Formats: sequence, C-alpha cells, structure tokens
Amino acid sequence: MAPLSPYTYIQCPCSDPGNLSSATRSSNPSSPADEDCFDPRAPRSNYSLYPLEYLLFCDDCHQIRCPRCVAEEIVAYYCPSCLFEVPSSNLKSEGNRCTRSCFQCPVCIGPLSVSSLETQPESNLLSAPDNAPAPHTGPYILSCSYCNWSSTEIGITFDKPNNIHAQLAKQRNGGTTRLTAKERKDRRKDMAQSGLRSQSPTPASPAATSGTGQTQEPLDLETQFTNLKTFYQRQLAESNSSHGSSMDLSSLGDLGFASPNSLSRIMSIYTGGGLHDKKAKARAGVMREALSPDEGLQLSDLDESPAIAHLHTHGHAGTITTEQRLAQPPNLGEPHLHGATRFESTLRPIPYLLRTKRSKRCPICRHIISKPEAKVQTTRFRIRLVAGSYIPSITIKPLNNPAALPETLEPLKPVQYVLTFKNPIFDPVKITLASPSKTPGRFGSKVTVLCPQFEIDANTDVWDEALKDGGDASGTSRKRQQQQQQQRRGDDGGQQAEAGKIWERGRNWVSIVVEVVPASLRLDRLATTTTGKGQDERETKEVRDDDDEEEEEEEEEEEQEDRKGKKAIVDTSPLKEDEDVLEIPMFVRIEWEADSVGDDMLGGGSSAPARDKDVKEKRELAYWCVLGLGRVRQD
Amino acid sequence: MSRRPPRGEYIETDTGNKVARKATLVGTQNIILGGKTVIQPEVMIRGDLIRSVQAQSSSGGAPASNTAVAIGRYCFLSRGCCLRPPGRLYKGAFTYMPLRIGDHVFVGPGSVVQAAFIGNHVHIGSKVAVGESAIIKDYVRILDGSVVPPNMVIPSFSVVAGQPARVIGEVPEGGHEAFELRDLYKTVGNNPQPAPS
Ligand SMILES: [Zn+2]
Ligand SMILES: [Zn+2]
Ligand SMILES: [Zn+2]
Ligand SMILES: [Zn+2]
Repeated sequence: MAPLSPYTYIQCPCSDPGNLSSATRSSNPSSPADEDCFDPRAPRSNYSLYPLEYLLFCDDCHQIRCPRCVAEEIVAYYCPSCLFEVPSSNLKSEGNRCTRSCFQCPVCIGPLSVSSLETQPESNLLSAPDNAPAPHTGPYILSCSYCNWSSTEIGITFDKPNNIHAQLAKQRNGGTTRLTAKERKDRRKDMAQSGLRSQSPTPASPAATSGTGQTQEPLDLETQFTNLKTFYQRQLAESNSSHGSSMDLSSLGDLGFASPNSLSRIMSIYTGGGLHDKKAKARAGVMREALSPDEGLQLSDLDESPAIAHLHTHGHAGTITTEQRLAQPPNLGEPHLHGATRFESTLRPIPYLLRTKRSKRCPICRHIISKPEAKVQTTRFRIRLVAGSYIPSITIKPLNNPAALPETLEPLKPVQYVLTFKNPIFDPVKITLASPSKTPGRFGSKVTVLCPQFEIDANTDVWDEALKDGGDASGTSRKRQQQQQQQRRGDDGGQQAEAGKIWERGRNWVSIVVEVVPASLRLDRLATTTTGKGQDERETKEVRDDDDEEEEEEEEEEEQEDRKGKKAIVDTSPLKEDEDVLEIPMFVRIEWEADSVGDDMLGGGSSAPARDKDVKEKRELAYWCVLGLGRVRQD
Repeated sequence: MSRRPPRGEYIETDTGNKVARKATLVGTQNIILGGKTVIQPEVMIRGDLIRSVQAQSSSGGAPASNTAVAIGRYCFLSRGCCLRPPGRLYKGAFTYMPLRIGDHVFVGPGSVVQAAFIGNHVHIGSKVAVGESAIIKDYVRILDGSVVPPNMVIPSFSVVAGQPARVIGEVPEGGHEAFELRDLYKTVGNNPQPAPS
C-alpha cells in the first residue's frame, strides 16, 4: 500500500446545523469541551471536511464556506473541446451538448477528430510536391486516435469537414437518412392534423391503424411524447366537460393512472407545470388509454431474435459495456433507447457535454465570494475570497528525517511531528490548539501537543522583508540555513522538543511539535487492555495557559476510564476500511486585532463589540480540523 | 548533498536556467528556454524534430523560425521526462509542429509530452503520456499515470486522470497558488536552498 502523505482537512461550520442560523460561531468558541469532541470518522464528517484549497471565506460573515454550502450561479456555458461559449438561450433549444464538431469516442471516450478518408497515410504522400495543397474532397470520418475507432464502423461518413453535429443528426448508423428534429416536428404537425381528422368521427382502433403501415416505422421519442400529450390533453378536456358533476367514484378513481387527477398531476410534472388545473380538483371518472400511434401508442418490440442472431455472429466482443451505454447521449430521433444500444454497431459518437463557469455566494449573507470572468478563455477572477488568505495553513512533517515519509506508523512507538502554521494575514495572530488526549474511535492513539498556544507574526510584504535585510534578498535564506544547521545539530546533539516551547519560528510562520503514540490495531488487545478507553472517547483535553495541568489531566483520564469500564461493550469486529489511518481532531482558535474598517457585520450575534474607526477590532475564528498522519502498521 | 560533482551538476545560464549536464538536449538551436527553467538529469528534449513543411504564413509577418520546443519561465522538467514536438499531416505531407509551453509548467518524472500547446500553471504528474497535438490550457492538473489522448483539448481548471484521460474534477479557487514554481526553482541547482516550510 502506498504510504499516505500527511494531510490537513478543515471542517466547514455548515456541518453543524446550529451554525447556519447565526452568521458566526458563538462568541466564545474557546471551549471545545462543551461540545462533543469532533470525530473525523463519524459518517457526518464525510461531508464537512475539506482541504484548505477547497474552502472559501465570507468576508462579511467572517466565516469559512465550503463547496457544499455555497450557492452556485452559472456565469457561462462552454464546450470543453472547442472552448466556444454557448449562450444560455441556445441551451433550451439545442440542449446541453456542443453542436459543432466536438465528439467523444463511444468506445473509449477519447476525443474524435475529423479526417478525410482520401488522405489516409497509404496514399503516396511523401512524394507529393512540397506545397501542393492536398485535395480534401472527403468523404470525411470521425476517428479516435486513442483506440482507432472510426465512424466507418457504424457506417457513417460526412460530406463536409465542418458542422458534423448537424450532418450526424441526419444519418442513422449504416448511413440511411434520418429526419432532423425540424422535419420531425413538421411531420408531427401533419400527423396531428390528419390524426384530428380521423379522430373526430370514430376513435381509431389499433387494428385499423396497424394496417395503414404507420406502425411500420417506430415512433421517435419526441413524436411519441407529443402525440401522448395531445391525446391526454383532449381526454382531460372531455372529462372536464362530461364528468364535471359526478363525485361518487372520485376517491377511488384518483388512485389509478387512468384518473384525470393523477394524469393532470403527472403531466404537470413532465410538461413544466402549465397544464395543472387547480380549479378542477374534483374530477372523476376513468379515461381510456391511447389506442393508436396517432395517440402515442407504441407497441413494444419483444422480438429479440435479431439481437440473438447478432450475438451469434459477433459474440460478446460485439456488445458494449455499461459505461459505454451510460455515456451514450439521449438520442431523441431514434426509437426508445431501452435495450436498443447493446451492440457496438448501434453506438453513436458522443457530443461533448458543456461545461460551466460558476460564481459562488455565501449561503448566509448572499454576498458573492467567488466570481470568475465571464469570458471562457480567461482564467481571471473578479472576486476570489479563498480561505487560504484568511486562515493559517498547516503542514505536517515527521520531526526526524522530514524528507522520507515512513511507510507506516509503528504501533505503540512514540513519533514526533512538526506542525508548521503559516499566517496569511497582515496582522499577528494568536493561535490556541486543543486536541483530545486520545483520538476517537476504537483504536485511540495518544496525542500530546507540546506547544498548544503561540503567536505568529504578521505576513509582511516580501518587499518589506527585503528592505529589512538591507536589500539583500538572500538574507532570509542565510538565516534559514543557520536555522537548519542549528536544527541539524539539535538532532544529533539531542535537542529535544520541549513542552510549552515552539520548535521553530520564521517571518510569518511557527512550527510546533506534536507527539503521537499510535494505537495497536490488535483486536485481542482491544478486548483486554483498552476496555476502559472506550469506543467513544468524547472527552477533550482542553489546553490552557498554565502548564501544571497535566496531573489534573491524568486524574480526569482515570476517572473517565472507571466510568467507561463499567459499561464497556467491546466491539471486536474486524478492522474497518481506513480504521488504521491515524487522524487527530484538533480545535484551532485564532485571535487577532484587525483594523476596524467599520464594516457592517451582517447577521446578528457577531463578535465585534468595538466599532470605532481608529480602534483595533478584536477578531477571532475557531474551527475543527483533522490532521491525518498516516496508516498504523497492523501488528 | 555533500558529495557534488566538482563542476556542479547543473549549467546555470545568464537568464537563470538550470540545465543538468546529464540532460539530453538534441538540436539546442531549436529549443527556446524562457529563463529560470529547471531541466533535471536524464531529461530529453527533441529540438531536432523541426517542421519539414514550412507554413506559408507570409501574411502573419511572424519570422519563419525553426523553433521546435519553446519553454516559458519557471518550468520544471523532472528527471527522465521527454519533450517531443508532435507530428502530423499538414497539407498532405508529414511534418513536426512546434511544442509550445508556458510559464510555471511542471512535468513529472518519466512523463512523455507531445502536446502542441501547454498553457501557464500546468502540473503534469509522473509517468504521464500526453499524446500528439494535445492542447492543455492554464491551471490544469494531470494526475500520475494518465494517458492524454492525441488531439485532446483540456480546458482551464481541469483535473485530469485515467487511460484515456478524462476530466475528473475541477481545480478549486484556493488551489491556484499551488501551481507556482518559484520556490521549487530555488531548491535545485548547484546551490540548492531548502524549501520554505
Ligand atoms: Zn460548508
Ligand atoms: Zn465544441
Ligand atoms: Zn476511442
Ligand atoms: Zn456571508
């Protein structure tokens, strides 16, 4: 198994339902012991933990926002292959796929390119005179340069190298022509008119129409839908006029598909709500179903002998996979897709699905927190409030030998990690950390944060820094090298990470050491020795300024063990997925003094008492995060 | 780090390029480096594969150059990767087309790149194959082991993986800075500096 590189995930406040009602966390978030310790393995945590890069920040609410809670708005639609923007008005008429010549291979989803059949490499091209324009006369094909599939395999070629989408719409596999959407619409109109004429004297019977040859060609989806729609609309109108007064059977009739009520409800769902007639609540009676293709009747073709014959000749190699079938575009011009595309010969090139550029709003105050430029080709953002420029980043490295990551963590063997906090804001910040002394879950690992409280200097401008060093840009690096040497010497000479002391400090960063004793993953040990430690370690070790806390801590722990030991039911089921990953929940509180810009704090309950312009405003932010260290070796 | 070759492992140019002595650059006169680009040992750049058919772009006024590979600033070509101009049929005859690479482009170890164009801020993982004439726009991350099919266009802010490669995700708003390669540039060369924490 590949070694797991250490990671930090941060919890968005939206995962706590209590947080969504008020814009900020409670004004005193410093006491994680009040709440239950955050369990990174809880199913709920799946949806609330994000790497820092994925988080945005609302400047008005002073709070973290994640992809799950922001409200997205589409700024632009574009094709990911030709990168042309598609106006949203086109979307309604043409659908959500590119209508130029951008297609994906139906076999391997690689991009298809248009090439001329004439200019295949076999023809003697190398001897051609230098600048002779090769005649591109077609026919043209779509071909995949990844798997070598080409549209000739489904018998389709094109006359022109451009506007493939329209040309493809006119062809069935095998090359037979097919009506375009517009032609089908026209034909539908004709059918509707002729249908009305034939309808009015006597209801058409299936026997009658099957003879006329209209059922020879199966209805395409659009036509069938329109026919059914007009048929049901007529039925509804009739039932309104004739059964308006009879109320006796309404309660029974409402339940079936044939009831006017359920029908009008279903139609309102599928036709956009325009048909739902609220006044006619109490319509009764049973309506008949469609009986002819004019009314939208489509007999299922249950004869599978052609499919079986095809299977006989082509074998399983000729069939398609579920993924290939799912990737197929809805093909409105063809009979219903159900079961239709089971063979490679029925595959169609896949027009690229459009992609979007989206802006994001804060779910609480509705301010925009991210907004890309609308132009497809530009990567600039008008607004981009990312959490990384507000809250410190946390990087994790093993203290000894930071270059090489250990494959796995050795159980019951203490290891030390260096956590580096980097302050992105232009004010110094005070950081307070709290973590449970034992990680939650069945296999609790011991955690000791050696320096849970420290200050980080402001993120000064790089230029300020350069000036401070007398314009010598390498000054910082020299300092660093010295530090490194010191550190190296420290490693050799036994410089220990001391409790209460930070490990290393730089311009806008501070490193501290965390000691971890990974738990043993042995289930038998779980049953005997860790009974007391419980499955649900809820107690959080709170860290305060004073250092003489430890004894108290231990007492607490013992007490707790006693308490839990009595009712311990040991879960000795086998190791669950990722249960061997050592994750430390950590509560981070950041306090700083920002220039009060007199900004209006939206959403009451904000933690800003001072509003004077020249007074520094006290700010704080607190959140849970998870430090993932690696997998514990199974002993 | 203590045992360095006496002459220094890298040749450092005036514009700050760091080219490993053990890199193979064929047809150097057709390779343009924008500056501050790192080329690690065992990298191969095929500058010899130049256009054999000249585009008659007299109207454009662009100098008819023989550039085969053009690389921008702060690019990082990891050990054992290969840059190769794409070949294709142009007006019926086979020719190579130039491979153009923007700034802050990372190419992972063992990857083979035959793209036509790579934008700025692109991360190509290790053991990736980028097929001929692919176009990779800005802020794209291609995960390890991907095979980007020939002619594929990858739009900005895509995370790409698989064989054949497909877009599997989006680069988040907070992930733009991670593409910066200025710090990485400082960590290699004859005077490597430690990475800032
Ligand atoms: Zn959220
Ligand atoms: Zn397109
Ligand atoms: Zn293919
Ligand atoms: Zn907000």
